[in-house]
Amino acid sequence: MRAIRKIAFLLDEFASPSPGQQLLDRFLIGYPRDGALHTLEDAAVSAYLAVSAESTFGMREEEFDLEVAPTAERAVAGAGAVVVVSRRPGAVANEAFLRIALEQAPEGAACFVHGVLANSLASARHFAAKAASRRIALLAGTPLCVTWRLPPVDLTPGTPLTEALIVVQVNPVAIQATPPSPPATLGGAELQALDGLLPVLERRRGGESGIRSVRFLEGKGLWRAGEKGQWSWPLLAAALSRSHTPQGDAVLDGRTQDLAGLGLVPKLARGPRGWLLEHCEGLRTAILVLDGVVADFNFAVRAQSGEVLSAQLFRAPTPAEHHFSRLVAVMEEFFRGASPPWPVQRNILIAGLLEKFHKPSSISGLRLETPELNIAYSV
Amino acid sequence: MPRRPRIALLATEVRKYSHGQHFIDRFLEGYGWHGRHHYPPFELAGLYVDQFNEGDLSRDRASRHHVKIYPTIEKALTLGRSKLAVDGVLIIAEHGFYPRAEKGQTRYPRYEFFQRTVKVFEASGRAVPVFNDKHLSTDWSECVAMVRAARRLGFPFLAGSSLPVTWRIPSVEIPLGASLEESVCVCYGGIDAYDIHGLETAQCMSERRAGGEVGVKSARAVRGNAVWQVLERRETTQRLFHAAVARSFTCRGPSNYPSALPDLEWLKKNHRNPVAYFFEHLDGFRTSLFLLNGIVSDFNYAGLVHGSGEILSCQMYLPMPPVLSTLADFFNPLVNHIERMVLENAAPYPIERTLLTSGMVIFALESLYRGQVLVETPELNVAYRAPGQSTFWNA
Repeated sequence: MRAIRKIAFLLDEFASPSPGQQLLDRFLIGYPRDGALHTLEDAAVSAYLAVSAESTFGMREEEFDLEVAPTAERAVAGAGAVVVVSRRPGAVANEAFLRIALEQAPEGAACFVHGVLANSLASARHFAAKAASRRIALLAGTPLCVTWRLPPVDLTPGTPLTEALIVVQVNPVAIQATPPSPPATLGGAELQALDGLLPVLERRRGGESGIRSVRFLEGKGLWRAGEKGQWSWPLLAAALSRSHTPQGDAVLDGRTQDLAGLGLVPKLARGPRGWLLEHCEGLRTAILVLDGVVADFNFAVRAQSGEVLSAQLFRAPTPAEHHFSRLVAVMEEFFRGASPPWPVQRNILIAGLLEKFHKPSSISGLRLETPELNIAYSV
Repeated sequence: MPRRPRIALLATEVRKYSHGQHFIDRFLEGYGWHGRHHYPPFELAGLYVDQFNEGDLSRDRASRHHVKIYPTIEKALTLGRSKLAVDGVLIIAEHGFYPRAEKGQTRYPRYEFFQRTVKVFEASGRAVPVFNDKHLSTDWSECVAMVRAARRLGFPFLAGSSLPVTWRIPSVEIPLGASLEESVCVCYGGIDAYDIHGLETAQCMSERRAGGEVGVKSARAVRGNAVWQVLERRETTQRLFHAAVARSFTCRGPSNYPSALPDLEWLKKNHRNPVAYFFEHLDGFRTSLFLLNGIVSDFNYAGLVHGSGEILSCQMYLPMPPVLSTLADFFNPLVNHIERMVLENAAPYPIERTLLTSGMVIFALESLYRGQVLVETPELNVAYRAPGQSTFWNA
């Protein structure tokens, strides 16, 4: 394991809490890891913050020797590790920051992007190639890919899968006083879904095979597709059974309810949307964005044997959001030269899928062939 | 078709998020369990509700699910007939308006409900499994009488908190027979309310140590600065305290730095009203409980393995409504254990655990009442063995 010496943060914002604050504070001040406070003794931390009137590093410069750099280039100079954090929820990458990181960081450095790697498949591929050419280790991700699962399950490597499903929300707050406002950034929920689910799926037999087609559905079309078996109601029921935050009567009077079995899901869902992915080897994945039904992220996958594996992707409460502690532990090992915890191909695939999700042609209900997403990898 | 086993539930009150509501709804509406919505294979046949306070939900539930609310405990257990007519009894005597005892305890009528249940058993010549929510009683002789009655009549008796059976993050267990030296729980809440949860958090781990549980020799409870003074003198407890704090998701340390953890100096300056209980067991083992309101709002455990110095720690995670959840799903594993007990006619873990933790609460409060002095506890000579199998939620 190598010493890090200097970690550079390139931040769009520094609100509290925000991913930028959560990540920087942990490298600067320390974080709980394996039941003890863990601090980095061997790394100076520098940060460049993009112009943002409401943002401030507070007392971090004085109390923790944070070096505030006047430019992104100065922050990155001499850094053994670079962290790029774009605005919440990280579904739109700050490609300018990443470009600077990959051009200015010393050869042999490591770079981690919070959120999506890039805003298009072409950019993601370009950045991965650029990083490789300069021997810079490059990864992207969110806490969802490494957080605790309830229960603490994982797919046995090599298990053949037939179907997968994940339920996420735009606004996952347990008790919502008012309906959530429309998403500021389309793709935030989808990014979380992909980042939470792909680490499970890529362990299946043959690894990830890439995506052959995508299909967008919304409103009644989403429910009709479920009735036709184009996504699995039983898997949705399994995923919902893992939720701690059913909405509806549970909010009213604390009642436990079988949301799927009682037919309540379509009644509760606000602006439901979903993506049906067909993987190259035949696995079918459904991403359901269901605000108003539950307020946590839950998945279920079915093995060829018929066995169903399901879990909640745990998000720890604000303001500490200790799922970021899990991510920082993984990032720290990555920066210290450990083998990458996942292949960058996962991040390239996610970038390509989010690009596809953003395209107007996707908002049609049609099945779109995606030969460009034939991105296979294994872990 | 064979009839489903019948249960009777005796509740002090049933309103949103009261314990009565949590148990009743899980039996009537089912709950998420092992990746599906599970409907308990029981008929909630008889309901007794002691208080119908503002926001009562029992009548709504009774009406929607055709459950009869009986005017007395005896009628709920006999379903209005002359003899016991149910296959299991749940005593959920938490919440509602009940008098306060001199030492700060709320006199929930757990003992009274239990005694009246036992009288029905005796009159019927038959006894069925009983679950008692939380601690047994606020009076030690009543706690002992409850356990003796269960032994005398030979019915399975389960009690206690949901903490021992809820999720653990990370999902760890003390290996059975481990050479454990001390257990610490750092949690929150009031005395005679959440202290029992914290003690059950520690005890479900401590009881797995080599030799099993042997009983508690002494108790001392302290408040305010005395907590930090004791902690400063006890190096091992201090290590475990910090390890437990490091498992908290809600720890509020130095302001402006939400992920930072407080050290002892910061706590001494900034937290002036902690409460701590210190117990010495008969084999020299130690249990310490810290109620740190305003610093943490979750339940965190750390235990020290003798010799290796290894610390095993976790949070016993409660998805507590309304901030973290809309349901108190930590009741799911507890209800599932109750179901198993009734179906298999055997308690999944020994009642002695909750007998001991009930006594630990009683004598800790005695210590506070007497001016934070050390109280010898020959009464707590409660020895038992933990079950071999883990009983917490991990699937």
